[in-house]
Amino acid sequence: MAENNVILEAKGIYKSFSGVSVLQDVHFSVDRGEVHALMGENGAGKSTLIKIITGVYSKDQGQIYWEGKPVEINNYQDCQKLGVACIYQELSVIPPLTVAQNVFLGREPRKAGKIIDYKKMNQMTQELIDKYEFPLKPTTVVDNLGIGQRQLIEILKGLSQNSKLLIMDEPTASLSGKEAEMLFKIINTLRKQGVSIIYISHRLEEVYMLSDRLTILRDGKNAALLEKHEIIPAKVIETMIGKVVDESSGSKKMLQSKGGDVRLDVRGLTDKTDRFRNISFQVHKGEILGFGGLIGAGRTELVRAIYGIDKPISGEVYLDGEKMVNPSPKKSIDMGIGFVPEDRRNHGFIPLLSTTKNVALTNYDILKKNGLAVSDKDELDMSKRAIQAIDIRPSDPDKQVGVMSGGNQQKVVLGKWLMRDLRLLIVDEPTAGIDVGAKDEIYSILEDLASKGVAVIVVTSDLQELLRVSHRILVMRKGDIVKEFKNEVVTQSMVLSAGQGVTEDKEAAE
Amino acid sequence: MKNINWSKYSKPIILVAFCVILTILRPTTFPTVSNIANVLWSVSVIGIMVCGTIFVFLVGGIDLSIATLCGFSAVVVVEVIHMFGDTTMGVFVGILAAIGVGALAGCVHGLIITTFNIPAFLVTFATQSVFLGLSMVITNNKIVSCTAPAAFTAIGSMKILGFPLPIYFMIVIAVLSWFVLRKTVFGRWIYAVGGNPAASEISGINVKRATILCYVFSGMTTAIGGIVLASMTRQAMAATGSGYTNDVITAGVIGGVSLLGGVGTVPGAIFGAVLMGLLNNGLNLLSVPSTHAGLVKGLVIIIAVGFDAMQHRDQSRKKSGFAFFKKKNA
Amino acid sequence: MKEMNQTTLRRLISVGLLAILIALFTAMVGAGSGKFLNAENLMAIVRDASVPGIIGVGVTYVIITSGIDLSTGSMIALVGMVMANVYAYTLLPIPVMILTGILAGLLCGFFNGFIVAKLEIPEFIGTLATMSVFRALAYIIAIKDANGVIMSQPMNVSQYAFLGSTIGGSSKGIPYVCVALVIFVVVGQIVLRYTRFGTNLYAVGANKKAATLSGINVERIRMMAFVITGFCTAVGAVFTTARLQSATTALGTDFEFSPIAAAVVGGVALSGGSGDVVGTLIGALFMATLENGVRKLDMNTAYQYVIKGVIIICVVMFDAVYKKRMDRIAKEKGAKEGLE
Repeated sequence: MAENNVILEAKGIYKSFSGVSVLQDVHFSVDRGEVHALMGENGAGKSTLIKIITGVYSKDQGQIYWEGKPVEINNYQDCQKLGVACIYQELSVIPPLTVAQNVFLGREPRKAGKIIDYKKMNQMTQELIDKYEFPLKPTTVVDNLGIGQRQLIEILKGLSQNSKLLIMDEPTASLSGKEAEMLFKIINTLRKQGVSIIYISHRLEEVYMLSDRLTILRDGKNAALLEKHEIIPAKVIETMIGKVVDESSGSKKMLQSKGGDVRLDVRGLTDKTDRFRNISFQVHKGEILGFGGLIGAGRTELVRAIYGIDKPISGEVYLDGEKMVNPSPKKSIDMGIGFVPEDRRNHGFIPLLSTTKNVALTNYDILKKNGLAVSDKDELDMSKRAIQAIDIRPSDPDKQVGVMSGGNQQKVVLGKWLMRDLRLLIVDEPTAGIDVGAKDEIYSILEDLASKGVAVIVVTSDLQELLRVSHRILVMRKGDIVKEFKNEVVTQSMVLSAGQGVTEDKEAAE
Repeated sequence: MKNINWSKYSKPIILVAFCVILTILRPTTFPTVSNIANVLWSVSVIGIMVCGTIFVFLVGGIDLSIATLCGFSAVVVVEVIHMFGDTTMGVFVGILAAIGVGALAGCVHGLIITTFNIPAFLVTFATQSVFLGLSMVITNNKIVSCTAPAAFTAIGSMKILGFPLPIYFMIVIAVLSWFVLRKTVFGRWIYAVGGNPAASEISGINVKRATILCYVFSGMTTAIGGIVLASMTRQAMAATGSGYTNDVITAGVIGGVSLLGGVGTVPGAIFGAVLMGLLNNGLNLLSVPSTHAGLVKGLVIIIAVGFDAMQHRDQSRKKSGFAFFKKKNA
Repeated sequence: MKEMNQTTLRRLISVGLLAILIALFTAMVGAGSGKFLNAENLMAIVRDASVPGIIGVGVTYVIITSGIDLSTGSMIALVGMVMANVYAYTLLPIPVMILTGILAGLLCGFFNGFIVAKLEIPEFIGTLATMSVFRALAYIIAIKDANGVIMSQPMNVSQYAFLGSTIGGSSKGIPYVCVALVIFVVVGQIVLRYTRFGTNLYAVGANKKAATLSGINVERIRMMAFVITGFCTAVGAVFTTARLQSATTALGTDFEFSPIAAAVVGGVALSGGSGDVVGTLIGALFMATLENGVRKLDMNTAYQYVIKGVIIICVVMFDAVYKKRMDRIAKEKGAKEGLE
């Protein structure tokens, strides 16, 4: 393989954030006309690497080469100029414009008098569409298109700028099955035309089907570079998790079902927009039930529905045998359910308000009142109790939560539920973006709650965390519960395989 | 004492400075009993209204219909009094009717804004025209004077302990608003809703209902402002209250209320009202025609909001960093 | 064609609203006297729609970028007063006077654009503030008599006043302002549909982040929209003062509302990114027809205000519901069809 066949190469990339090393000596290269998949667990450094390639982050050390020449990429424009286009999940198409207008936005061909030459523009778009066999028409207004087709427009936009490398970050996350099929077809066409693609996905079957090579990152380092024939699901999973499967305490666990009577009984819950369907399971008193699976498997939507934020179209939820009628967050709170949402910043707390006000927010029913006035003293006492109980820092109860660190923000979100008698606590990605010390504290809070008889549901994409806290594990995949692990030894790879839909025996993973 | 927190005292210092400057500039006319009463009258009307609209600001809304709703309620109270033959009974009914109209208007605002998720400025911009038209229809676009009964004229002109009655109304409403916002559960909800509606909803707050109630209360205080104005001027017309939309919003903004929601206090808003009163009075004493005052007030809004926007921008930049590249996990 | 394009459907709705209004008034007014549906009255309606329509071109641009401009009415007064000053105190020729007025409009627009795009003050509050600033400036520079009382400045020299009349001068001719309207709408629509700037307006209004990523200078586009509004408003002010043959401080008191109302009825969504100049023209005609009809019916003219406000709210509510529905349909379609 000659040097000139490599289109992009990143050598010896180092990056750390405030002293924490995120990438260490990472090497990554993409050939012309290759679909190169990039995999790794959450926090393995995939997105940091991509952000360095697209100029969003600066690298600490290392060099990027484009077609063999060293290049500096300082912003997104630089990387566009080289011929790299990034297809984001948050699409940047302009709905009121046509397909052609979107593709040539800011670069419209013009006639004399600065008038846009629509005929030429539509023709140029049609040529692109024909060349890559996209199911689109230049004159369709984007308003009328589905998400999958909108994604194709972005790809087309990249191609119209002669992009030689497309970066696709979880492109199928919000696509329906049929839309995803269409995308795969397109990717294959692009490969034949000599376009290179970096494909980031959690979904092994897609990677297996599409990619020519696969780079796996683990803990900010290169873990493996696999050729097409080497991409074997069990091996990939093993590599992602690490070879130290048996030694590391977090990668293997003997599950032991705990708890007494059934606390939560979910029967046949089905989502309006089919993000989960016919879900039935139970949680017992004092049990921590873990939900594993890939991002987008429907776990977040499921727990939101149980808590009463979204309305399911069918199914019932019983708490201690009592049916929840017409659920709403208010009713759930009254019945003793607590909820820690996935999107902490947007759904978790009120940034401008103090720890005190945030902790008290769901607890005014139990705070003392003098007539109509809430007792400021009682409110402050509660806040101080919360600060002490879970060590929120800074310990100033008047501190705005918005300016705290992620870990302490999460403690505030969690802390408010500890101040009241809970029957069930639902936590969704409880430690995302939180440092290790705070993680452990949060785990012990959950364990403590369970030991007091509270039922706990933990949704997490962090496998180590899932094994660490769960007494029992349910794995979801594409809106269904596909696997239950209980009273058995479970490893990260078993959970991952189940979430990926890979069928294999336990032995294969070990 | 090396570190005095000056920002804490900035408000009283500004007020005192303002008074001192006006006293120096107009030593014979500013520090007189009758002029202070004038200031207080002016302050009271703005103060009454801003104590209600602060609720709307806090939930991130705005009300551009303040002026015409104020005029409409003035017309309602006066017309009802005439209907009842200028009796004291009529005054009671009229006041109730005007406040009811205000509450209803606020309720309509709140319902439309929350149900259809339409920006507040647009809805209140449209209703502004509706209220103006209704006042004009009712009054046939004429000035309706109302000099009796005494129960009505007293509202605006009576003095207790040397202070005009409206200032007491303002104090009562301010204390009520302060109590609700600072002391009650509902008040805490309002700050939460303004700060993060999605998180509030998840915390079990009925965001829609809280928002609607804020608009209702705002409509009621606007109506009370209209009643006081009608009584003070002993007349009502469609143009009663014109200019108050800007005055009230300016008072709120210079009082530290953020138009982005979630930030602001009643004492701050009252400070803003007092400053606006002094500003109106000062411009008047300095022989600046009222028609020119808009220049000063407009610039004050631009500076105050611009400053607020700047701070917000700095903060969000610091916080979100590269939020754009963060993945939105469905 | 499975279904109609959103834009086409919305256009049909606004044309339908206008047609219904005309039919309604023809029936109501015509029943008595046949005064409504005749060439002269229709021309009067077009004339009344002209100034809001001209200003509406700029306002449409601003609203497409998801902004708003509440200050156009006050701007008319200020521009009028600037020209009145030139008229009263200098010997400059009329065209120079007009240019001065237009320059004033451009400056006002630039100021709006500056506080909105650079200082990032929310549009509705920033232009609410400049609404009172411009009006106050108009009062400050107004022509006053020896006692300091504001006088209305007559501007009746025929070189200027002819702009307020019709081609040929007869009462049945075509008013110059209507010619200007046609020019503004045609040019405005061409700029919107056939230039990069026009496309950029939509991009900025629909998705600022995406626009930035496509290399569009969002700040500049937003400023430009306000400056163009200033220009259109100044032209509107020229025709208004020419028709009245004088400038007063009360000019344009009603005009904050008219262009915005016209745009909303014509399908320019305040959420940005949709609508066009032709839509605003239809909206302006709708509003003018409404005023005309109310006058012809001998109704209290105050009813206009009520009706206008209610219509705006209804249209906006309709748009909100409609948009939600269309978004849902698009989503479901994407999920179902995928491959065509």
